[in-house]
Amino acid sequence: MESPAQESGRRIYELVRRRREGTISRRAFVQAVTALGLSMPLAAMLERRGLAALQESAPSGEITIVLPRSLVALDPHGAQSVEEATAVISSHVFDTLVVRDAATGELQPRLATSWQAIDETTWEFKLREGVTWHDGTPFTSADVKASLERVQSLEGPLAPLWALVTEVQTPDDLTVIFKTSEPQGTIPVSAALFFVTPAAHSNDEGFFDNPIGIGPYKFVSWVRDSELRLEAIPDHWAGAPGVQTLVFRDIPEVSARVTALETGEIDFTFGLPADQLPALAENSELRIDSTPSYAYYFNWFNCSREPFTDARVRRAMAHALDLDTIVNDLLQGVGVRAQAPIPSTIFGFAPQTPYEYDPEKAKALLAEAGLENGFETHVIWNPGSGPQDRELVQAMISYWAEIGVTVESREMERAAWLDALLALDWDMDFQTNTVRTGDADFTLRRLYVSSANRTGYANPELDTILVEAAAAADPARRQELYAQACKIIWDDAVGIFPFELLENYVYRTRLTDFVPTPSAVPVFTSVKIAE
Amino acid sequence: MTPYLLRRFAYAIFVLWGALTIIFVTIRIVPGDPASMMLGAGATEEDVAALRHRLGLDEPLPVQYVQFLGDAIRLDFGNSLWLNRPVLSSIGERITATARLAVTAMAIALLVSFPLGILAALKKRTFIDGLVSVVSLLGQSVPSFWLGIMLILVFARQLRLLPSAGSDTWKHLVLPSVTLALPLIGVLTRLVRSGLLEVMYEDYIRTARAKGLDPRSVLVRHALRNMLIPVVTVAGLQLGNLLGGTVIVETVFGWPGIGRLLVDAIFNRDYPLVQAAILCITATFITINLIVDISYVYLDPRIRLQ
Repeated sequence: MESPAQESGRRIYELVRRRREGTISRRAFVQAVTALGLSMPLAAMLERRGLAALQESAPSGEITIVLPRSLVALDPHGAQSVEEATAVISSHVFDTLVVRDAATGELQPRLATSWQAIDETTWEFKLREGVTWHDGTPFTSADVKASLERVQSLEGPLAPLWALVTEVQTPDDLTVIFKTSEPQGTIPVSAALFFVTPAAHSNDEGFFDNPIGIGPYKFVSWVRDSELRLEAIPDHWAGAPGVQTLVFRDIPEVSARVTALETGEIDFTFGLPADQLPALAENSELRIDSTPSYAYYFNWFNCSREPFTDARVRRAMAHALDLDTIVNDLLQGVGVRAQAPIPSTIFGFAPQTPYEYDPEKAKALLAEAGLENGFETHVIWNPGSGPQDRELVQAMISYWAEIGVTVESREMERAAWLDALLALDWDMDFQTNTVRTGDADFTLRRLYVSSANRTGYANPELDTILVEAAAAADPARRQELYAQACKIIWDDAVGIFPFELLENYVYRTRLTDFVPTPSAVPVFTSVKIAE
Repeated sequence: MTPYLLRRFAYAIFVLWGALTIIFVTIRIVPGDPASMMLGAGATEEDVAALRHRLGLDEPLPVQYVQFLGDAIRLDFGNSLWLNRPVLSSIGERITATARLAVTAMAIALLVSFPLGILAALKKRTFIDGLVSVVSLLGQSVPSFWLGIMLILVFARQLRLLPSAGSDTWKHLVLPSVTLALPLIGVLTRLVRSGLLEVMYEDYIRTARAKGLDPRSVLVRHALRNMLIPVVTVAGLQLGNLLGGTVIVETVFGWPGIGRLLVDAIFNRDYPLVQAAILCITATFITINLIVDISYVYLDPRIRLQ
């Protein structure tokens, strides 16, 4: 049995949580907590700062973080908008309407408190009241409208997610309405990647060299390719962050980065190569959080080129690979065997029947397709795209040789590889891919509808499913449709989907309360420094 | 000297134009496209085409070339495609960092190689001479990526005396500049030694000695000054190389120099940035060469600039 005091405590906690989510109004909140015996000033403080107000919560200390790739730009709307480094900084300085919970994968309120599809082509977002930019200006729907228009006009990699939005309406300061030309169920999903920047300044020259933000940290300074500093906002609406100063340093060389971590020069890094991890795991001053990520490997077939026009040949190639052995030998700690054309972390994931390692079956399939003597082909790939990529290509090539298929490895520099890839000028393509939004639409529709023509594979049935899944507003219906899409892509072997990747966050044990995220965009707001 | 300088200036313009033209053509010949790099693997053909149009990349090459030369004459290099900011401010930041590193490395190299070279020449064919030769040979042959990582392991990881990477304080400057200086020490020590040995047998040295000058002033006033020309020439060329950026050392030590910027720009097919960076590096090289040439006059009064 709860004591009355515990009972009121629990109810206050619940009210604060609901107020944070925006499901009750400010007035209802203050009335409810004062009814539980809290004084008006305390109620107002709770309203403003949440439970943080009740804790010993002043941010303190400094931590140094090194991201796997150098930060190029702070503008979260332009050419760098999908770069993880840009997203990490933006997640602290700016904010999104909704956020994907790192632990559960569910969409949670952030700058928006609620959202709903009013009709097939209209999404309405209610915005959080009382939020201000770091310069004190109130946050309003005009900021959201200006930011979205900026994303569209800059034509960066995020623009396609919003291509169907024809109009952004702002009936009042705290309501935003997105009108789309066709039904689009993915608007809330896309909103989790959409950072709002201040309407008044975003187009100023040099604004993103010294931005005014809205997130839990404010921008202090940035020396390109050297160091970026952020300071905590102690009275942030979502509560005070744990650490006062975040320093992001640039150390591109892996061994220098690992040394800096071991000597305590830096506190946190990730994206290290597999061969570095065993030694780090033995170090008692370090901790490794390993978590499934949004990234995975695939080996596509050019389905418009002989002999990969024949699904039997594609399946034969899949049966030729001993993936369990490859994972054991090459991907310990950084990858696991994939079960679908998208990773298990993604909304829309549905596990499929694995292609067993069976060289005899593979040869039989080739013989059925009239290729009993095997054939010659090639694979294009871009070094550095993922862990152990060179070793993986070599391993796959030797397995394929065993069923009589001679594969030439065509290693290409990224820009040249991208040219070849987009021109469909290849037999097979081996690469990593990341489902940025955490939603199957981002990968499946973009890459597998016939009109995208990315693999030469065309299937009207799949097109219908993917288009309907993107349009549907009901998550359950979308899940069902993606399960069908996963099955078609897997069974038709448009590609081999061998591995999904793990993200390994490595940090000094003085950091606590870090929440690992599958997105490779870690957020440090929850982190505290142990005494 | 003025007509000489004017001629050198005209020559410099010609070299700059040549360098710019070569880079303009080569970066466009290699496969890859800035628009598709900017949009990433997810972009559709229409997206890429639209961006190419916006960037003016769909114009015929001669049109782009004329446009580019016109802009270059006005020193307007435009915005970096990849960084989305004026290329000149990016290059300015980077060249300052590179200059800091290059000048320090060169200073260390000169301060070490002169005493070593003189010592080796004076103790010709002794154990000390042999030791200096071995050390300078090693300095020249050790690859800088290996040396850099070894220095990090010893001084950052084991001894914890110096930081492993970064560029904030003088401490950050030590390891990368020593890494860069070591091969230079190798080259310069050998030059000082052989140059000194050569002039020591010249008649004027014998005369100076015969006059009864003390050995120190024979060495400093008569011998050293006369062997400076090859040393200054090589040091000048090497300084030019260092100022052009040292990609490997910059990468190993996380130093924000122009070499890394240029390589990243090339990988991203960032045409404006590559072009402006090459122009800057070429101009630096030409200027240093000019300074070296002019210094000859002061080092050796027999030389007159024609």
